[in-house]
Amino acid sequence: MSARWGWLAGFLLLAGSAWASEDNYVAATRGRALAIAGDCIACHTAPGGVPFAGGLPLETPFGTIMTPNLTPDEATGIGRWTVDDFARAMHEGVRPDGRQLYPAFPYPFYTKVARADVEAIYAYLRTLDPVTSRVDRDTMPFPFNIRAAMSGWNSLFFTPGAFKPDPQRSEEYNRGAYLVEGLGHCGACHTPLNALGANKASQPLQANRINDWTAPNLTNDARLGLGSWSVDEVVTYLRTGRNATGQASGPMGEVIAHSTSQMPVADLRAMAIYLKERGTAGSTAPSPLPASDARMRTGEAIFIDTCSACHTSTGAGIANIFPRLAKNPVVQQDDPATLVRVVLAGARAVATAAAPTAPAMPSLGYRLNDEQVAAVLTYVRNSWGNAAEAVSSADVQRVRKVLVSGK
Amino acid sequence: MNRTTRRQLLSASALVALTGTAFGRSFRNGLPWSPNEAYPPSPITPRAWQFFSPDEVAAVDAIVDRLIPSDDLGAGGREAGCTVFIDRQLAGPYGVHDGLYMDGPFPPNPLPSQGLQSPVTPRQQYRQGLAALSAYCKATYAGRVFASLSHEEQDALLTAMEKGEAKLPGYDGRSLFAAIYANTIEGYFADPVYGGNRDMVGWKLVGFPGTRYDYRDVIDKPNQPYMLPPVAMQGRPAWGQLP
Repeated sequence: MSARWGWLAGFLLLAGSAWASEDNYVAATRGRALAIAGDCIACHTAPGGVPFAGGLPLETPFGTIMTPNLTPDEATGIGRWTVDDFARAMHEGVRPDGRQLYPAFPYPFYTKVARADVEAIYAYLRTLDPVTSRVDRDTMPFPFNIRAAMSGWNSLFFTPGAFKPDPQRSEEYNRGAYLVEGLGHCGACHTPLNALGANKASQPLQANRINDWTAPNLTNDARLGLGSWSVDEVVTYLRTGRNATGQASGPMGEVIAHSTSQMPVADLRAMAIYLKERGTAGSTAPSPLPASDARMRTGEAIFIDTCSACHTSTGAGIANIFPRLAKNPVVQQDDPATLVRVVLAGARAVATAAAPTAPAMPSLGYRLNDEQVAAVLTYVRNSWGNAAEAVSSADVQRVRKVLVSGK
Repeated sequence: MNRTTRRQLLSASALVALTGTAFGRSFRNGLPWSPNEAYPPSPITPRAWQFFSPDEVAAVDAIVDRLIPSDDLGAGGREAGCTVFIDRQLAGPYGVHDGLYMDGPFPPNPLPSQGLQSPVTPRQQYRQGLAALSAYCKATYAGRVFASLSHEEQDALLTAMEKGEAKLPGYDGRSLFAAIYANTIEGYFADPVYGGNRDMVGWKLVGFPGTRYDYRDVIDKPNQPYMLPPVAMQGRPAWGQLP
C-alpha cells in the first residue's frame, strides 16, 4: 500500500468514528437517556451477554426471533449503518438492504420518535465498543420467514408518521404521550393483540396476556387500571418498582430495572399524567361471588391459612412490603394469568436503587393443587370490594404446564 | 521442642486464605431467587414398614399406646401413627445420627451440657433394645412378649424401665424407655406429613393451631377462645381435596 492510500484509509477511519467524537458528547448523552426510555437493552442483550450485542431469543406466537447486535461492529453489528439507515429502521421497519424487520421490533411505536431523538440514539450507539456477535437473523419458520410478507402486515396494521401533539392538552400530557406511544412502547405489551400479532388499535392499553403474564389495563379505570392510583403513586411505582399498593415483578420488573427507574422523574410524571388523563376503558365489573359460594368458602380457608400472614385477613397487605389485595387492579384483571403464576411459582419483586429490598413471595405450587389455587384466587378476586370472574382449575392447569415445561 | 517454622505458618495462612475464598460469595441486586423453588417434605404413605420387623412393630405399637392411650379425649399413640413416624425416622437420616459428630471419645459420665455421648445410633438402640425387651419379657412372663402382656403388666414394666429398675439382658432399659418416650411425643405432635399426628389429633388435643403463623387478628383478644381449627403443611379438610 502506498503512503497516499494509507493516509486516505486513516482519514476514512477518522470519518467513521466521527459520530463517537467529543463533538457528539451532548447528543450521545441524550441518546443514552433515550435508549433507556426505549429499554433497547432489554431485548438487544443475550442472557449474560454484552449489553446491546443482541442474541436474545424473543418468543413470539409465530416463532423465535433472535435480536440483532446494535454495537457498531462493521461485520456483525450496525457499524456500516448511516444515520439515515438507522432512522429508516426506526421509522419504517426496514433494514438498509431493503428487507423488512418484524414488528417484534416495535417500529409501529418508534415511528413516532422525533428525528432528532433518533439521531441522538444513533450517536449513543456509535459510542459503544464494537462487539463481534453474529446472530442468526433467520430463525422464523415458514411462512413467517418470508420477510416481504411484512409489507402486507404493514399495510394492514402499521401507520407510519411522527408524533402529533394535541394542542388542547398540557405540555406534560403531550410529553407523556410522546414517551408512552413512542419510545416507551408500553402498548406492545399492554394492548391486546389480534390473530396476526398486531396490537388492536381499537383497544389501546386495555390489558393483554404476554408469555403467561397479564400486562394490566393502563387506562384510568378505577377497578382495572390506574384510576385508584394518584399520579405520584404511578411515578413511585415506575421509579422504585413499588408503591403502597404493590410491587413489580416479572417482565414489568425488568422494564423498571432497565428503563423507568433510570428515567428522569419529570418524564415519569409526564407519562403518569398522560396515562391517567387519556380516559377510561375496560370490562364492566361483574357482581362479586357471594361468600356462601363453595369456591369462596374453600378459598377463604386456604387464604386464612396460607396468605393472610403477609397479605392480612382484610387483604390490606403491608405498605411497601406485602402487596395490598383489596381493590388492587392487578388482582381484578379479566385474565388471571399473573395471579396464577405468582401463586404457583412465587415472585420476586424488582430491586432498584431506591428500593433495594426486593421481597419475594414463596412458591406454593407444591402445596396447592389446581382446584385449590383456583379457589383461593376466586376468593381474593371477589372479596373486600374486589369483583372479577372466578378462576377455573383449567386456567391453573394451563399455567402450571407452562411453568413446568419452562416455555 | 516443637516449633512452628516460618514455612509452616505461611502454608497454613495460604490454606486458610484459599478456603476463605472458596466459601465466600457476594450477591448484588438482591439475593438469588428462582421460580418454583420449594423444598417440601415428601408426605409419608403408610406402605410397608421401612425399618421395623413385624415383632418390633407389635412391641412399639403396644408401648406407644400405653404412653398415650386412646380415650375420650382422642386417639392414642398407635392410632395417631406414632409407630409409623418412628419407623420412617429410623429409616431416614435420624436413624444413623447423620449430621451428628459420631466419633469418640465418649465420656462414661458426661455432663448434661455435653449432650449425647454414645456411639450407638438410634437404629442400633431400637434393634438391640427391643430384642433385649423381648428376651426380658419371655424370661419374666412365661414366654410372653411385651405386646401380649396385660395393660397393668405393661405399665408396671415401663415404669420399672423408666426408673432403671428393670434389668434388660445386655441393654439399658432406661435409655430404651427414654428413646421411645421422646420419639412418641415427637410423633404425636409433629406435622402429619411425617406420618404421626394423624388428622392433627395431637394438635386438636392441646389446641395448637398448626402451621398458621400470624395471630395479629387475635392477639388483642385475651381470654377468648381461638376458633380456627388446626392446619397442617398439607392443609386441612376445609381446603377441599388435599394435594
